[in-house]
Amino acid sequence: MILGSYMGRRVLRLEDAKLLTGRALFVDDVELPGMLHVAFLRSDDAHGLLRSIDATAARERPGVHAVYTAADLGDYWQPGPLLVPPPPVPGLIFNAATQVPLVRDRIRHCGEPLAMVVAESRYIAEDALEDIVVDVEPLPAVADLEAALLPDAPLVHEQFGTNLAAQVHQCKGDYASARTAAALLVARRFLYDRGASAAIENRGVVASWDARAGELTVWDTTQAPIPIRNGLASMLGLGESQVRVIAPFIGGGFGPKIMMFYPEEVLLPWAAMRLGRALKWIEDRRENFYATTQERGQIHDAELAVSRDGRILGVRDSFLHDTGAYDPYGLTVPINSQCTLLGPYVVPHYDSEFKAVFTNRPIVTPVRGAGRQHGVFVMERLLDLAARELGIDRVEIRRRNYIQPDAFPYDHEILFQDFRPLVYDSGNYPAALEKAALMIGYEDFVREEQPRLRREGRHVGIGVVSYIEGTGIGPYEGARVTVEPSGMVRVATGVGTQGQGHFTTFAQLVAEQLGVEVTSVQVTTGDTRDFSWGTGTFASRGAVVAGSACHAAALKVRAKVLALAAPLLGVPEGALELGNGRVSVRGFPERSLGLGELARKANPLRGAVTPGTEPGLEATAYFGPDRGNAASGVHAMRVEVDPDTAEVKITRYVVVHDCGTVINPMVVEAQVQGGVAHGIGNAFYERLVFDDNGQLMNASFMDYLLPTALDVPTVELAHIETPSPLNPLGAKGVGEAGAIPTGAAFAQAVEDALSGTGVEITEIPLSPSRLYELIARARGGAG
Amino acid sequence: MIVEGNHFFPGPREVVWALLLDPAVLAKTMPGTASIARVGDDRYEGTMAMGIGPITAAMFDVVITMTDRAEPEHYTMQIEGRGKFGFTRGKAAVTLASEGAGTSMHYQADLVVGGKIAAVGQRLLDSVSKLMLRQGLDAMTRELEHRLAGGAA
Repeated sequence: MILGSYMGRRVLRLEDAKLLTGRALFVDDVELPGMLHVAFLRSDDAHGLLRSIDATAARERPGVHAVYTAADLGDYWQPGPLLVPPPPVPGLIFNAATQVPLVRDRIRHCGEPLAMVVAESRYIAEDALEDIVVDVEPLPAVADLEAALLPDAPLVHEQFGTNLAAQVHQCKGDYASARTAAALLVARRFLYDRGASAAIENRGVVASWDARAGELTVWDTTQAPIPIRNGLASMLGLGESQVRVIAPFIGGGFGPKIMMFYPEEVLLPWAAMRLGRALKWIEDRRENFYATTQERGQIHDAELAVSRDGRILGVRDSFLHDTGAYDPYGLTVPINSQCTLLGPYVVPHYDSEFKAVFTNRPIVTPVRGAGRQHGVFVMERLLDLAARELGIDRVEIRRRNYIQPDAFPYDHEILFQDFRPLVYDSGNYPAALEKAALMIGYEDFVREEQPRLRREGRHVGIGVVSYIEGTGIGPYEGARVTVEPSGMVRVATGVGTQGQGHFTTFAQLVAEQLGVEVTSVQVTTGDTRDFSWGTGTFASRGAVVAGSACHAAALKVRAKVLALAAPLLGVPEGALELGNGRVSVRGFPERSLGLGELARKANPLRGAVTPGTEPGLEATAYFGPDRGNAASGVHAMRVEVDPDTAEVKITRYVVVHDCGTVINPMVVEAQVQGGVAHGIGNAFYERLVFDDNGQLMNASFMDYLLPTALDVPTVELAHIETPSPLNPLGAKGVGEAGAIPTGAAFAQAVEDALSGTGVEITEIPLSPSRLYELIARARGGAG
Repeated sequence: MIVEGNHFFPGPREVVWALLLDPAVLAKTMPGTASIARVGDDRYEGTMAMGIGPITAAMFDVVITMTDRAEPEHYTMQIEGRGKFGFTRGKAAVTLASEGAGTSMHYQADLVVGGKIAAVGQRLLDSVSKLMLRQGLDAMTRELEHRLAGGAA
């Protein structure tokens, strides 16, 4: 394999053979001798005082080994850590309240765990749950974001005297002046409701304590195995080297699996040590609707000030963010909404304030997009409305407001979720727009096709929207690259992997530098024994941060190869080249050494060592970016709407995406396609419906609708590559991109299809029945 | 969940009143009632089964407390049911008015339903509750007719 031939290549995923033939290890595949099974008793009430809990009968049930309540945990009962402290925004208010392993006195959301049963089988454990007698004094639930902030509202956390979890005001310029100068003000209220991440694999934990070796091994569906290892060691009084956390193959993460620590992650290792038995807990789908963190609900009151020719003068936004019963993830999600609203546009004046609100609902933490879609939805809808009012074409109004390609780095003058200024590193927004408009045939559609079809009585529409995704944030990741005597190259990195194709893209990066076949590179991710330092998989940062670390470690090994081979081959390093798994003298391919052979020579026998020699063709490197980078893109979709049934069919979906240097186009395309599926679910199918008492009313896939393959079109995708200057690869993240602008594109397209009927879409998710209501209301209003 | 409606009983108000408060009649007529007993002047305790959608037999321990009773016109019930599949609690108000030879009943219940039964049975909860109530009232009407015809309870 020739050097430089792996970047940007469509390498088939190396992990797929294992996955497709059922040989990949998932947490539920772990079977250990003497393993017991765990089930959790979860609260039916959303809010209440736990007066007593009696597990006597459960403990007596045959096959039950232990039942634990909060009282049994003693000093081990501790609220979880605050994962992300608030950024240093002046005047910020933040009330921290983190989740507890088992409820001790106050229940704060449905599904909060009350007791843990350990039994011979899950069957027995679940039967034993029914033996536990719980006495709860119900309290009125906090279920409405606006009502939660009224003076007489019941309180989720009494110690704060308010349900306000946080308040953050960020601004640039002087919005009042923009308002005065504006030819048009567009003000609306926008709603964006909750959803589930709905990964195909739920969460799961297996914990095993080896008392002789003094070693705890935990298999966990986490996106952050190293922080879990560190936290468990600290909580359990063990050394970090005594704890091994393995995040094996995981069937989708999407964000909630980076939450730390879930009660089950804290409790299973503790109980495994006490009982001296391996324990397994696998979350079932109904539990997942309560026990795994969820997507966010927000209410925005936003106003756009524009000039007569459609230039943005300023935006003001004030929004409420539902953080659920606790706020362990700090302000990441609402700050993403606040920052992402600005998008690819020049917004001279911006005034944005949000209030995060405690409610008696499951906890909200990042889910694919992590609040970015809310900002995009608000901004794109405001632009659509302004375009309509001003009689400007929707694509044109965007074109007029883009940050231009020569304006980078571009400073938005507010703080991003990584505590760094929101400065875009690179991009080419007009190019993406033109390409997307061309690909979807925008001009022809609006001029010819749409009017023609409308005359035939068909309601077709088109939506074209832009977005920015801040990706690839710090702090850092690391990787170790080792050439083995067999010639195999091993790569270990700390991030976990949940289907992103890391085994392939990281192998490509290393093969690129070492001149070996990509199939000779074996990647290990998410096993703390193999790599001990790192943060995790989140914020679309795997390729950017861990990828750059793999690249840096490979460069170090390459330098070692050259330094070792030069004297052996009797030429200066500059005369050497790497390829086909060998290092050879340029122009003399027969004068060469295999990398495996060289690896053996790098492990010197006695007498052959000079002082300062490091053995092995091995190197470890770390990468931490200065700040996140700005991936971007344009989504365009065509829909056809039946105004009588409110059925919507997405007929075409185009994405032009810029994630900087593309390592493997196939992996990028799959990420975007998957993200779009997620986004379509978000836009038209998925919504968690809570009643006034904080009860989730659709906690099953009978009632919580996921889009199927029939609802998700194949995305037509094109890449724009503006390399990021913030990392050696020039890469930007892509994991969340597909899901971010989908709601905005869908709303615009559906509204366009229904143009003339008076339907205005200011909320997501829609559903066939909700859209039907909107159409009926518009008809009623018109008639 | 609000359940509200009217029902006409073809019999005098005093007889209807007695029927409505008679645990033996309630056990016989209300669907799913496994047992019900009057354990105090204003308190009933019992066990009820409810099948909704994927939940086939959810057993509830039910406590009903009368909070204001104005015989034979009006009473209010505090309902508290708890079981492995969730809970229901709330208030129900019943008003009886003489209408010719019969009695017209107005009922209004405001119930909170929680837990599994709310989470997976939501789509059917409303219709099943109304169906069960309708069946109960019809059975009670038959019981009333039977009594008026001279039969025992």
